[in-house]
Amino acid sequence: MVLDPKMKQAVIRRTVRKFAEEKLVPAAAEMDEKAEFPARVAEEMAALQYFGLEIPAAYAGAGLDSVSYAIVIEEISKASGAMGLCISVHNSVSAFPVYEFGKESQKQAFLVPMAKGEKIGTFCLTEPNAGSDASSIETTAVRDGDGYILNGSKIFVTNGGVSGLNLIFAITNPSQRGREYSVFVVESEREGLEKGAQEDLMGMRGNPVCPIVLNDCRVPRENLLSEEGQGMRIALSTLDGGRIGIGSQALGIAQACLEASIKYAQERYQFGKRIADFGAIQGFLADMATRIEAARLLILRASSLRDRKMPHSRESAMAKLFASETAVDAARIGLQIHGGYGYSKAYPIERYYRDAKVCEIYEGTSEVQRIVIARSLMNK
Amino acid sequence: MNIVVCIKQVPDTPNIRIDRERMTIIRDGVESIINPLDRIALEAALDLKQKEGGKISVLTMGPSQSEEALREALAAGADEAILLTDPGFAGADTLATSKVIASAISRMDPFPDLILCGKQTIDSDTGHVGPQLAEELNLPQVCGVTEIHVEMNALVVKQLSDGFQNTYRVSFPALLTVSQGLNVPRHIPLGDLEQAFLDGRVLRWGLKELDLRPEEVGFSGSATTVVRLYRPPQKRKGEVVSGSSQTLAEHLIAKLVSLSILDEDEAE
Repeated sequence: MVLDPKMKQAVIRRTVRKFAEEKLVPAAAEMDEKAEFPARVAEEMAALQYFGLEIPAAYAGAGLDSVSYAIVIEEISKASGAMGLCISVHNSVSAFPVYEFGKESQKQAFLVPMAKGEKIGTFCLTEPNAGSDASSIETTAVRDGDGYILNGSKIFVTNGGVSGLNLIFAITNPSQRGREYSVFVVESEREGLEKGAQEDLMGMRGNPVCPIVLNDCRVPRENLLSEEGQGMRIALSTLDGGRIGIGSQALGIAQACLEASIKYAQERYQFGKRIADFGAIQGFLADMATRIEAARLLILRASSLRDRKMPHSRESAMAKLFASETAVDAARIGLQIHGGYGYSKAYPIERYYRDAKVCEIYEGTSEVQRIVIARSLMNK
Repeated sequence: MNIVVCIKQVPDTPNIRIDRERMTIIRDGVESIINPLDRIALEAALDLKQKEGGKISVLTMGPSQSEEALREALAAGADEAILLTDPGFAGADTLATSKVIASAISRMDPFPDLILCGKQTIDSDTGHVGPQLAEELNLPQVCGVTEIHVEMNALVVKQLSDGFQNTYRVSFPALLTVSQGLNVPRHIPLGDLEQAFLDGRVLRWGLKELDLRPEEVGFSGSATTVVRLYRPPQKRKGEVVSGSSQTLAEHLIAKLVSLSILDEDEAE
């Protein structure tokens, strides 16, 4: 019997939404205000397999397809951008590369606890002098007997404050500086790894983003993911999935903006009628909804290509670019609909406004996405 | 203990639209969920299975798409799912529905020890199917239970009725319908959902498998027909009171007392 995949995805969306409305919606404002990660909710999410979304059941994951994965991230992000960010990064750019590139022993040692949510993962590429230009990282890994010694600084590490395992990108062949880098899985408790104070960010404040410093941090050879010099390949292949995650996250925030705006527009009376009855407001809502639906379709397109193991770099870049700009736009218009009240903390729209912005920045800025798309158009 | 849980897929919306020609609820384009009280019945079955062992079968009568609800039940922990589906079942009232479900249950070998249903559904709200099913199967029934225990090879159940709490001791096999408050259904792990849609098995039984005649079921087997279906006009009227805050407060307190929401002592 051929099953309609949409049936499964509808149930997954509903299941996640119910959880998010029950556990995350009530926590989201406080997470933001106190810049606090909700450890208890995260534990519940771990038990429900939110930390092993695309990881097969053999490694303790949920074994979801990419389309379902995108739906999960969207629904979680709709309730809390910061938690959406946590599971997007953990799943797509931390656990997934360990699954894709790890040896069996590494999967047992690192992937299983990640999928169970016992160890939250990070993706440490960004450095003070290496952002969009990822090839200019300065962190080094020097061979030392049967291991490596790592030195360098990583910044803006998502999930940093609560991480158990960290994917560290480091140069292994300094003579080919910038080109030959490798990825190491480094345990947070390893000597020589230090976490800095949580960044005081504009949005996504419930995520414990912090710097990670490596100071003569010695790791055994077993912690090298794949082979030496495979860093670029791992980064590029991982980021395709990561962009679907960030796109879905932006989509969730945009959807939250739309729903909040629809609600507010029907509650707020001015000039003797609901502001929803004014043409200008209706136009705002119609444009928001249309762009959101288009973003959702782009994400569906990229993730279904990924499910069929077909190339999806361009489509992921398009989905990420469009969804994040849609989110920023939806937050801007949504706040405008809310008027003065939208500018206060009495309504969640100001949080969405702050959370949305970073979607245009991390895991490849909008400008970088445009480069990826443009190159793919001309390299035919 | 072998338990059958009867579930129904219902529209997930408070704004139900009505097809005025056919006198039915419009289900197209509306997301469907497991009727919330049926989900509570399933959760009760999962709790009992955890304590007593046995097997849980979930059953629903409906169109092909009801399979979604059954797979969700499999993900929640049911062992077996049966979809009672046949074009001949369409247009059934609660009596004809009970007949089909009863026929399916009586075919089960071994016959279940316990049948659980939600007390009523959020779409049609009749509360008929559970009791009618018990009558069809000639089983003892308790409706609207809020607690279930197994003691000395019998069920001890509590029921709230007309403001009284009743406790019943019921012998097996039996049928219970469950009320809000019996439990809080657990969240389903995502991997279990994936598995239920990937390899979960849903049996399909129709007229042939149940050995039923077309005139016994569906529209022709129904004892009732819906003559008219409409939304009654809302008669709620607001009352606008004006005056100083003192007058307003006094007025409000008097109102609350007259509605027995506040005691006169409290009002003082």
